[in-house]
Amino acid sequence: MTTKKILLVDDSYTARLVNRMIFSQKSNYVLISAVDGKEAVERARTEQPDLILMDIVMPRMTGLEACRALKKDKVTEKIPVILLTTRGEEKYVQEGYASGCSDYLTKPVNDAELLDLLKAYLGE
Amino acid sequence: MTGTENGNRTPNRAERDFAPAAEKSPIPAGMEHLRLRVQQLSLREQLERNHFLLERLSASSARLIQTLEHGDVFEAIAEIVANLIGSEEVAYFDYNPATKNFSLAWSWGLEPGALEPFLAGAGMCGRAVEEGVSQFRERQAESVLLPFERNLTACVLLKSSREVVGVIAIFGLLPQKSALEWADYELLKFLETYAAVAIQFQRLQGSQVST
Repeated sequence: MTTKKILLVDDSYTARLVNRMIFSQKSNYVLISAVDGKEAVERARTEQPDLILMDIVMPRMTGLEACRALKKDKVTEKIPVILLTTRGEEKYVQEGYASGCSDYLTKPVNDAELLDLLKAYLGE
Repeated sequence: MTGTENGNRTPNRAERDFAPAAEKSPIPAGMEHLRLRVQQLSLREQLERNHFLLERLSASSARLIQTLEHGDVFEAIAEIVANLIGSEEVAYFDYNPATKNFSLAWSWGLEPGALEPFLAGAGMCGRAVEEGVSQFRERQAESVLLPFERNLTACVLLKSSREVVGVIAIFGLLPQKSALEWADYELLKFLETYAAVAIQFQRLQGSQVST
């Protein structure tokens, strides 16, 4: 089984921690993290993760802004981005897809739903 | 070699033992396979449910521990409620045992002016103190609610060493969440004690700094 690197971006320590625990169910996932959109863009460029799981509401740079920046950059444009947010209303979902994200998940996260989505994007 | 009267070859023991179940006895073997599969799924579900709960309890506990250094207990409660329960409308009312009065100490996502003080016994939150247990909206009659409690989902009674510290009031759930689930009740039970301890700790630390 090949190792997959996932960049987890969330300003909430609780969210990062619970997602880390969810991913611990899969032994081939290596997790790296960032606490805002700006750091996410920088880490994505240097670390080249297989997938980015990112919150929307964050300081310095939001998930939507970061997603747009990642999609404009040749180095990171192909990395799938899954937006993860408390905002499940249609207009926010539309806004998420317009930023170039591959998929959209709402909080609170369901373990099985998240892992299934990751498996699909990581080709497992 | 074994044979039959019509000359066809009879399968040997190994062939019989390793023949597909359907060829030997289709219905009983199929049923047995199904029974085992159902049992396996049930066991898997038990493990996953337990893991799901422990993940949330562990993340909440770690976040509350962090408040000992950072002094941000209300931000921690907000993070736990938003990310793990699914609400962005939370308030904390401090309890004064001398006056039996609750007053707003902190709120998030709500209009603080609407969150008026109340007495023990009044409304759903006041009832929590009187009955000594957390209260949930689905178990309340509309008539007992205070005006600000109309959109209340849960009132979590915080107690440390049997003393009431205050209540966490959780108002509207996120649109994608229709109701509290079993793991939410367990997490709220955890907060009853450990959020109370963390708040008390922060309170003591505040009073030490000011003296």
